[in-house]
Amino acid sequence: MKASEKKARDISKKAKEKQKNILESLKSHGAKIYEDLENGQFPKFSIPSRSVSNIVYDKKLRQYILGNSTALRSAKNSAQLRSFTQLMWLAFFANRLTQEKKSSTLRDVYYSSQAFAIEFDDQSESDNIIVDLEAVTSRPREDFHIFPEERSSIFGDLNIEYTIPGYEGKSMNLSNHPDGYSIGPSLTTAELVDTSAEIVIAIEKGGLFTRFVEEQVDKKFKSIIINTGGQAPRSTRTLLKRLHDEMGLPVIILTDGDVYGEHIAMVIKSGSANAAHLRELTVPDAKWVGVWATDIEKYKLPTIPMTESDIKRCYDLQKDPRYESGIWKKELEVFLRLKRKAELEAFAKYGLTNITDKYLPQKLELAKSL
Amino acid sequence: MSSIKEKFNQISPSEFFYSNRDLAGFSNPTRSLYTAVREFVENALDACDQKGILPDVHLTIKAVDPDKPDPKPYILTVKDNGPGVDAKHIPLAFGTVLYGSKFGLKQARGMFGLGATMAILYGQITTNKPVIVKSSTDAKIQNQFEILLDIQKNKPVIVKHTEKEVAKKGLSVSICLEGDYSKAGNKIRDYVYETSLITPYATITFDDPKGQKFHHPRFVKDIPPPPTIIRPHPHGIDVERIRRMIVESQFEIPTIDDIMIEKVRKDLGLSKQNLSFTAIMAKAKKKWKNLSRQVRVVIALLSFLKMDFEKLSKIRIEDLDVPNKKLHYWDFGDSQSKTVEMDPESPYYKQLTNTVQGEPLTTFLTKRFQRIGPTTAVKFAEFAGFKPEKRMGTFTNQELVNLSDSLQKFDDFMAPDSSCLAPLGEGPLEKGIKKFFNPDFVAVVQRPASAYSGFPFIVEMGIAYGGDIKTGGPHVYRYANRIPLLYDEGSDVVLKVVNDTDWGRYKVKGDPPFIIVSHICSTRIPYKTAGKENVADRQEIERELRLGLQFLSRKLAAFMSKRGQAEMAKKRANLYAKYIPMIAEFCTELAGKKKEPNYKKLLDDLEPVDVKTEINTVEEEQPIESK
Repeated sequence: MKASEKKARDISKKAKEKQKNILESLKSHGAKIYEDLENGQFPKFSIPSRSVSNIVYDKKLRQYILGNSTALRSAKNSAQLRSFTQLMWLAFFANRLTQEKKSSTLRDVYYSSQAFAIEFDDQSESDNIIVDLEAVTSRPREDFHIFPEERSSIFGDLNIEYTIPGYEGKSMNLSNHPDGYSIGPSLTTAELVDTSAEIVIAIEKGGLFTRFVEEQVDKKFKSIIINTGGQAPRSTRTLLKRLHDEMGLPVIILTDGDVYGEHIAMVIKSGSANAAHLRELTVPDAKWVGVWATDIEKYKLPTIPMTESDIKRCYDLQKDPRYESGIWKKELEVFLRLKRKAELEAFAKYGLTNITDKYLPQKLELAKSL
Repeated sequence: MSSIKEKFNQISPSEFFYSNRDLAGFSNPTRSLYTAVREFVENALDACDQKGILPDVHLTIKAVDPDKPDPKPYILTVKDNGPGVDAKHIPLAFGTVLYGSKFGLKQARGMFGLGATMAILYGQITTNKPVIVKSSTDAKIQNQFEILLDIQKNKPVIVKHTEKEVAKKGLSVSICLEGDYSKAGNKIRDYVYETSLITPYATITFDDPKGQKFHHPRFVKDIPPPPTIIRPHPHGIDVERIRRMIVESQFEIPTIDDIMIEKVRKDLGLSKQNLSFTAIMAKAKKKWKNLSRQVRVVIALLSFLKMDFEKLSKIRIEDLDVPNKKLHYWDFGDSQSKTVEMDPESPYYKQLTNTVQGEPLTTFLTKRFQRIGPTTAVKFAEFAGFKPEKRMGTFTNQELVNLSDSLQKFDDFMAPDSSCLAPLGEGPLEKGIKKFFNPDFVAVVQRPASAYSGFPFIVEMGIAYGGDIKTGGPHVYRYANRIPLLYDEGSDVVLKVVNDTDWGRYKVKGDPPFIIVSHICSTRIPYKTAGKENVADRQEIERELRLGLQFLSRKLAAFMSKRGQAEMAKKRANLYAKYIPMIAEFCTELAGKKKEPNYKKLLDDLEPVDVKTEINTVEEEQPIESK
């Protein structure tokens, strides 16, 4: 008991420190603006440019980052005055959320603005301002207690301890619920205590996730199973990174056999252009094990013809530096040659458990050599 | 003047008008009432203008029987403070058609002063009432006349004439005519309103039949200089006009009667002596320089007749046959016609031929036309293929036609003199526009004088935007020789030019509140119709209008962009006022402060921009910068 109490205190202390850091950062930004106004000057600050030309792939970091170009946002510029104010309000709102340890969603933010007579035309405008705040502070919005609505889920033998208010120190094993646990703010911020798993399997589809739980993939392959629900939300990517970095677990990714599946894996591995301003979301060592285009032929999977947009996507990705070599390059070429795609469910042709019985073991074996 | 009158004497002008009254704008009771108002008011203003009197014009329209439905008889009275008309001219001026004082070549509102008589005639035709004229030229005695027109004879019939003591100069004309005020009222009110805009130095009052008073006091104290009468420009001339001018340039051989002989004796200083022919000629030679033309001609005749005064009184000159160098006369004593030869070598021969044959071409040109010097006259004679010294009296009909054609075609004449024109001027026009429309922006321009067909003209224009001006512009106010043109605007050259303008190019968009005032001054406005309501699209006039409008439009565009900038600045200031306090509020909590930063100074430093104060500086192209 004593040890766990100490640990809870430690966790609480750690969380408080993080919170303090965030608040300090917001305060320093606020103080600068305050000073400008007090001196009779129009406040301004610089913000990393998020334009396409300023997003570059960093081979060393193995992820997309923002370049050096910054833009000046000034309250003097009447065209920027509105977004300046919106951003100030968001910082102010994030400050309150963080202080009061309350979480909110992107949509919450959109509606909360109205209580302060801050106008957003629509949620995409407020979402954009949230990304601005991330870019200015170089912190993900989750640090400011702002979370996306979409939830992915996790299942497996992993003990965690909550750090969120009212649950501090409370622990949980993530194999307790067969539907898996939804990856929300309390889970992303929880302390990862221990696990018997040796690998993390991220899978694109909810249906397959359920199959994997049913087939006890967690036990059979000593794994933690994560359903990314398509493109992995940032909270999921954060958690994947933490599982890799903090627990030392390798991450493998299973996707549909198409160009979008390939890219879902790539985003987990090296991030997206949209989040190039953040550094905490990538698992550069993650491995994509399938379904590859070559698997379609190898396993004689039932296929669907690629649409025009699928094909266009292939050509687009060929211009991306990350697709210049290795399996990434090779598989794109095969997709383009086949002009056909296959879903994970296609393995059902050989029986419902074929994917877990046959395909997965082969791929896990293969992953070791990747 | 008299020759014009004679020309029409064959058919009575009043008779002519009686059957063709549509021509002068008396086609129906509505139009007639409006035209009558116009004619009287314009005559009153013209009279004052020409004498440099600040006009005070009072117009009254009263229904004879207010309860009757329109059209019905109205009494129209126009009273002015002008010079008045001399009592002896009144019957002819108001009781005859084509009698007036406006036949010279200078700008006036009416062309020949016909309109007023026509109104009088129309009144008489429709109501059978006389015109009542009250006039005082000396501010002591006022002559009052009641006059009817004898239409067939074109002669006045004086019904009543009285005299009265008064204290003010001026003229008052009152007629009774059938009109339709319920329909004409709008136009008449517009007319009075628009007239006072272009005549800012006049006070115009209108008492309408419904008991309403429209009073437009003068707001300019200076009357523009009156135009001067000028000689015609060669480009604006035709054969008939030349023929009349030649008549003016010739001198008839004076009738040698007792009065004339007495005059010659007196001028030679011989009142009491009877001299012989030789003695007379010797005396004449001595006094030659001081003799009048008439006397010189008599002496010249005498030199060939070789008579003394006694003999001279008994003859009558019959003919001076210059080509055959013969002088024919009638001798009363012998009761027969006699002839003497004239010696062309005699110094007196030239005196006689000059008199009969008129001036040489070059003299005729330099003396009778404006802005032709001797050099130009000689150059022209060469161009036209006439000897410069060819005398005007010797031109045949065909030669006159050639001369007239050449005068039109010769390009080296100077542009017409514009001293006969009386534009309002930029200052008064701008003042008028400001007073009437209280605009946010106004610009005026007076174009330099130009000419079409030898008639000089000046275009002046004004443009105004915003203020009290109604939206839906441009509203165009057209004037010609200070007369507002209210009818038939669709086919007017000004409208054409305005409609051809792409206002979007000048940053005027949507439903703009703006007006254009256009004033064309000319000795002859090229009206399209006899109603004198629209100006024809003469190329030269159209060009001047276009240039004037372009100049003004550019100024308007500068104002509009400045106004746009000012609006932007105002908008921006509003944005700052809205957002800066919010930023202050948020950063205060973020920074953990208790008191908000003092941002008031920041907002106060933003200069407030009021477009209205920008009017006078609109030409300076100074971008407004945000601070």
